[in-house]
Amino acid sequence: MFSQRKFYTPYTSPTDPCPPIEVKSYETPPQLYLGFQPPCLPQYASAKEALHRGTLWPALYSPYESPYKRGDTGE
Amino acid sequence: MNEPLTNAYYELLEEIQAVDFVLCELTLYLDTHPWDNEAVQQFNHHAHQSRQLKKQYEKQYGPLFQYGMSYSGYPWNWKEAPWPWQV
Repeated sequence: MFSQRKFYTPYTSPTDPCPPIEVKSYETPPQLYLGFQPPCLPQYASAKEALHRGTLWPALYSPYESPYKRGDTGE
Repeated sequence: MNEPLTNAYYELLEEIQAVDFVLCELTLYLDTHPWDNEAVQQFNHHAHQSRQLKKQYEKQYGPLFQYGMSYSGYPWNWKEAPWPWQV
């Protein structure tokens, strides 16, 4: 399933003082790749949907999936 | 004014919130795209719509804003319940 969350595994050293975090993740919302927003992007049909989605333009929609609920071990 | 709030109240309030959200988005967009005529027209359309919705709300439920941004009922009733956090 497509997700904007990306995963990586940091280096863990035997001398680490604390138990290692195996997999870490970060969000990659669309605006990282968009640069200067072009005019006349398609918009959501209704203001209410735009409100619930958190943006006026579907191209910029970025649902935040908590890594903790989903379990942050990437596929 | 202690009867519970009706469904229509919340729907109207959500409509106002949605229109104001569109205005907020368009404001930020127009800051960087001042020449976008379509967006300016959309902004003015929603500004008018927002004004209408707020007038409709205030006719039924009392003032939304203070310091002259809203007309007052009689007697002076801006302090009546429900307060914003009680809505």
